[in-house]
Amino acid sequence: MSGQTSAAVAAAAKSVHQDEEELHGLLVPDATDLPLFPLSAVESNFVAYFAPDFTKPSHDHYIYRHPNGLCVVGLAPGHAALRDEGGVKGVDFNVGKSDRSAIKVTGKRKKNAQHFEANTMLCKVSTSVDTYVIRCCVKGSLLEVNEKLVKQPGLLNTAADREGFIAIIMPKPADWLKVKSKFLSREEYSNLRVESL
Amino acid sequence: MVAGSEAEEDLRAFREAVSLVPWHVAKDLISREVCLHCIIRLFGIREPAKGFTSLSPSMFSDIVAELPSTGEGLNGIELGENKDKNDDETNEERHPAPSICSVCFGILQICKVNDAEIPFEKNGVNFLANVIADAVKEEGHEFDSFCVEVSTPPAIPENDLSLLSYINSKYGSESWLQKKPLGNIISLKEALKALVTGPLETKLGVNCSQGTFRIWLTYKEASPLTSCDDKTPVAKRQKTDCNNKNTLVACTTYGLVAENEATEPCVDSGKITMTIPTDGFGNGIAYHESSCLSKSREPCSLSIECYRDAVYFGGRYLKYSRNVSQTCWMIDEERMGVTSVEEIISGCILPFCRGDKSKFHAAGREDIDVRMLGSGRPFLVEIQNARHVPSIMDIKGIEEKINESKSKLVRVKHLKLLGSEAWSLMREGEAEKQKQYAAVVWISRPLEDRDLCTLSSFKDLSIMQKTPIRVLHRRSPLEREKIIHWMKIERISGSSQYFVLHLCTQAGTYIKEFVHGDLGRTNPSIGSILGCRAEILQLDVTDVKMDLF
Repeated sequence: MSGQTSAAVAAAAKSVHQDEEELHGLLVPDATDLPLFPLSAVESNFVAYFAPDFTKPSHDHYIYRHPNGLCVVGLAPGHAALRDEGGVKGVDFNVGKSDRSAIKVTGKRKKNAQHFEANTMLCKVSTSVDTYVIRCCVKGSLLEVNEKLVKQPGLLNTAADREGFIAIIMPKPADWLKVKSKFLSREEYSNLRVESL
Repeated sequence: MVAGSEAEEDLRAFREAVSLVPWHVAKDLISREVCLHCIIRLFGIREPAKGFTSLSPSMFSDIVAELPSTGEGLNGIELGENKDKNDDETNEERHPAPSICSVCFGILQICKVNDAEIPFEKNGVNFLANVIADAVKEEGHEFDSFCVEVSTPPAIPENDLSLLSYINSKYGSESWLQKKPLGNIISLKEALKALVTGPLETKLGVNCSQGTFRIWLTYKEASPLTSCDDKTPVAKRQKTDCNNKNTLVACTTYGLVAENEATEPCVDSGKITMTIPTDGFGNGIAYHESSCLSKSREPCSLSIECYRDAVYFGGRYLKYSRNVSQTCWMIDEERMGVTSVEEIISGCILPFCRGDKSKFHAAGREDIDVRMLGSGRPFLVEIQNARHVPSIMDIKGIEEKINESKSKLVRVKHLKLLGSEAWSLMREGEAEKQKQYAAVVWISRPLEDRDLCTLSSFKDLSIMQKTPIRVLHRRSPLEREKIIHWMKIERISGSSQYFVLHLCTQAGTYIKEFVHGDLGRTNPSIGSILGCRAEILQLDVTDVKMDLF
């Protein structure tokens, strides 16, 4: 009787062990199947567009568009501010009629979001050489600005394409379609800036 | 047919019931085309449990014919034996068929069922029970008990009230009414249920009780005088007795006029307001045949529907594919993924139960490209109007059928039949559950041994997570605190920059964002903790910690 019970327990334990082995096999990939360098989250989740010389020469912006329509706007590698001696020293969202970082957008319907034009100012970025106005590039609702830049303007020098993004804008689908063709693809942009970069 | 003695007993019971109604009132009401069933129920008299089912309507008229033309009431009056009770035809000749009742529109007289006119001399209740039983059998339901639900035109409770107020205003001064005011109306629904339940139990071979299998009898006015809402029985079930709320208002609008017969003493309105609505002038609202009742009234039409309350199947599902969504997911008419967990599981259960519709509920969900392994995720499948409720063996069979499908995309575990309580169980457990994941992570520098220690040293690490950009378009922009209960690195042999990250987190944590940081919007992240760039290649859920299924 007890022999049968312990046999059953052993069988159950064995089956649990087998399940775990099987699960482990599924979870851990073979190293040879993995790419040497994987695509980054930004590369795989967004389509990159570039607006070189936006309103002024060397004012290069990027627009990373997520398939859900949201656009992350930031400074492209060719932007003059990133190329000044000593890099970016300060970021100020207190431009135009309001402080862009003071408006809190809430709710699914994005209450309080301000509707901006493509050439509306987002912030000022200053280096030891000059101060540059950064603009929306796309017409739409401003959902979020990257407040971290106020205390950590250096993020623009180290990761302008990631943690150093400027703002998140939600354009209307129709507005996006109108403006999209004016932007360059990543390849077109690097060809344009090939000498200077 | 019914045994003679039973018929006699019913007849005696009926005479007794009728004897409680003052004869002159009964005669008055009969002349106003109120059927005997309605008279009895308006006086609050319950028909015997089985109803007067063995009595043909012609016997009613015999009894009426016996009513004396003078006297205080039926009490004490010698009721002669019905001479011709076994010979309906001769009765029929002597008594013309009664007309359609002006109160119940023929519903209790059972003179029309599904366009089939039933002659008054036939026993309508048995006929009705047969029609219902046939309709139920045609639906193919399997059941061991049933209950009957009735829905009637809104005019009927209005008719009840206006008839009551007529009686009160006309006979208010009489002693029988002053001794025992009317008001305990037995509703038509109740009366009809009482009539039809017994014969239906016999026909269906099961008992009537408060079960999950319902037979819906919906009566509609053939030519509605008031606008009749066109609610289906399913919709009706959700609102209970809405009609009653409107009766006060409806009474005054239902083609009624206040009776101004000077000879009639006015009812003291104070006495009757408890039960009878009065108009704003203190007069009882009168029941006036010429204004509200048309002689050529059509009987109500009946539709019969059967419905079983939803049955629930609970279990846990495993998803082995990164191209199968939880539920069917369409973007611009384009299907995402090859199939869905819902379609695979419900697709096996619904046909087996022969239900109308299925609904799939799960305790949370994973992205389409995330596998659900290990414990599986609790889910419920709700089957509406199941004709067949499977046995334990059947359920084992369904489970095997799902698990043995060739594609091996989805499996189920612990499938079982549940009551509706399963629904709240799942909602309760959902909020506080912990979830365990395994993620394949790449970092921008070689992995070091101290990284393993760093990550495993965190216990209940609190992180701040802004609504990820990938869902920000449809979710509120918020910063939420989430808890990472523990983390563990497992190296992948042959790779210095890839590893498997095992972690257990609070429900609602976005794992992909916790790994790559979502442009610094989730903080800390694996990247920020290890001081490098971190990317996630694949993610699997390995455990949904819930005491459910």
